[in-house]
Amino acid sequence: MPSDKDWFDRFVIGLPERRLFKFLAARILVPFWAWWTPVKPLPGGPHPSAQPGDNLQCMMNLIMPLKDKSAVGRAKAAGAIAANKDQIYAGLNNVGTVHFARFVIVGDNICMFSVYDGDFTNYIRDFIATIGSVFNAVVELVEGGEDVIPCEHNAEAFIEWVHARDLYQVPDTATGVLRDQEALKGDKAASGDDDLDLLPRRLTLQLHANPNVSLGSGYRAYPGYSAAQIRKQLGIGW
Amino acid sequence: MSAEFDAADVQGNILRGYRKLRVRHLMLEIADRIAARRWLAASTSGRDEGIPQITRGSWGDAKPDSCFNIGLTYEGLQALGTPGSSLKTFPNEFIQGMSARALKLGDVGKSAPEKWPSPFDDPRRIHLIATIYADEVAQLDQVQRRALADGNALRLLGTREGCCFPDDQVHFGYRDNITQPRFAEVHDPQRYDDGQPMAPLGTVLLGYSTNFEGLKWRVPQPDALGLNGTFNAFRVLEQDVVGFEEYLDRTATDLLANPQVDELLPRGAEAKIASSRRAALRELVAANLCGRWRDGTPLALSADAPDPGVDRTKFDYADDSRCPYGAHIRRCNPRGGQIVQRVANNSRRLVRRGMPYGPAYDPEKPDRAKIERGLLGNFIGASLGAQFEAMSCDWLNLGLQDPRVTGSNDPIVGANDTETSWFDLPLKSGATIRLRGLPRFVHTRGGAYTFLPSLSAIRFLGAL
Repeated sequence: MPSDKDWFDRFVIGLPERRLFKFLAARILVPFWAWWTPVKPLPGGPHPSAQPGDNLQCMMNLIMPLKDKSAVGRAKAAGAIAANKDQIYAGLNNVGTVHFARFVIVGDNICMFSVYDGDFTNYIRDFIATIGSVFNAVVELVEGGEDVIPCEHNAEAFIEWVHARDLYQVPDTATGVLRDQEALKGDKAASGDDDLDLLPRRLTLQLHANPNVSLGSGYRAYPGYSAAQIRKQLGIGW
Repeated sequence: MSAEFDAADVQGNILRGYRKLRVRHLMLEIADRIAARRWLAASTSGRDEGIPQITRGSWGDAKPDSCFNIGLTYEGLQALGTPGSSLKTFPNEFIQGMSARALKLGDVGKSAPEKWPSPFDDPRRIHLIATIYADEVAQLDQVQRRALADGNALRLLGTREGCCFPDDQVHFGYRDNITQPRFAEVHDPQRYDDGQPMAPLGTVLLGYSTNFEGLKWRVPQPDALGLNGTFNAFRVLEQDVVGFEEYLDRTATDLLANPQVDELLPRGAEAKIASSRRAALRELVAANLCGRWRDGTPLALSADAPDPGVDRTKFDYADDSRCPYGAHIRRCNPRGGQIVQRVANNSRRLVRRGMPYGPAYDPEKPDRAKIERGLLGNFIGASLGAQFEAMSCDWLNLGLQDPRVTGSNDPIVGANDTETSWFDLPLKSGATIRLRGLPRFVHTRGGAYTFLPSLSAIRFLGAL
């Protein structure tokens, strides 16, 4: 009951909503924490699983900052996709493990979102082998892209580069974030470093180090089927 | 950037098998960096005294009595003092090591690296794996003594020893060692046309064109270190022979009561396979799980019974092939058959050099105590990620290559769980009988990713 709390309790409880506190938390407290207890950005992509069914319809969410941060730069990116539309369709068809691929411009980033089956590195490698030129045309416009193109001659480095830009997929369970951070540090679950009270701080620090994330690993309205299973079922060849 | 190919610069077990009767793998830790470098330099000195000489790919017809080869782990390269600028040019999967890739390889549950026995329980200490091939144990002992004479260089952490069975048989009773990739540059009288395209040298050596058109794997730098080298997935794979035979028993009994059994095995057809209908069904199931009858006859050519007259190697998976889509050999290498990943036909091929370990199982004399037996396997390819791992995770343990097997694991080597596993036995009508409850028959008991350096690279490392 409110009447049980004295003015100090009410002050403390109301703190997070005060503008001064919000300012201090965002500009001073979090950067200080991040400096004091550095947190590595968690790796992107789906969580690996030993269950075959979990490895279907995986999400890739690439956010790639454009070199040219102007309307002209954005138009160039739009043009690169449009010019390669036929090749993209051919690639999707030949790689065989992709459900959807979407290109989106948000701010000064070109984003590539896709849904694919199986292992990430195999997916990207097969794409390089099939339509590497499309990757080259897009990545050329992206910050740091020049180091890994032509992708056909830098397959391993290109795959790592793409993986580094794939968004971390925040697990659905609260403890998942703690577990991922332990795994990144090489700790085992039994290390005791999994205090639930620390979850808000851990999540805040992770989002400080890793400002763009995917919430969950994509939610499906039906169980995972491979692209080829769907195509076969629909009688359209695979 | 295709280098001029020189077989003398390549370790001898990569392009051709020695076909010796015995093998011994020595898991070694580098005790002292300087002494280990001296050891490496001595192993390529050409003086056949002291440290055993590395067997080269140019052994021609004069096969040595004993052969000696080495592989280095990432930790081994570090321990030798390989410069950081070089180390970072190695592929990620090799840097991380086999135990870090457990999920991709299906090394979970009882096969998880945390369960591996010594010396594989402490993978960071395994720096170098030296492998000796010979026909006699005394020869293995002698080469081992020479290799370990300088106790300052290398410390022995453990050994694993294998021995061939007659007629190329392996545990589970199948005939093995039937096909390997063939290379245009290498004359191997034991390998003749198997109907599969010749493998480009880049399948198995760094610095050459690969099966992916226009795609090349990064050669670890400098070239003296990376060129003509390759990568190996060394695996200690325990085989549950008793479990496998019991599964065949159970399945044969179940099938006898199945209404479709006469389509699977028409009345009277059992005579061509075994002495009784039940025994014939056992063998029929064993053949379907593998894709070959136990004598090596491929189901693709002879699906009704084993036939010593058919070619064991020259076949393909046509649309009407009667080899199950999920059979072990078809999953590992779909040859020219239709697969989902159209660019991947022939791109994930591996050179396999394996030998059984542990005594052969004799059903007449069941084991009185727990005996471990299995396969010491080397799975060699220029890209662990694009070949060994790609095959393991997408093909063996997900079945992504064919919508009819997606969601199932390889029936023989896959990470099966009796609760969820299944395998479809094809019938002539196109229908199938679904088998369920396959347990996991093969468990990983150790292993390491190693780099198999060229002779030039061994000299380079020796001179660091």
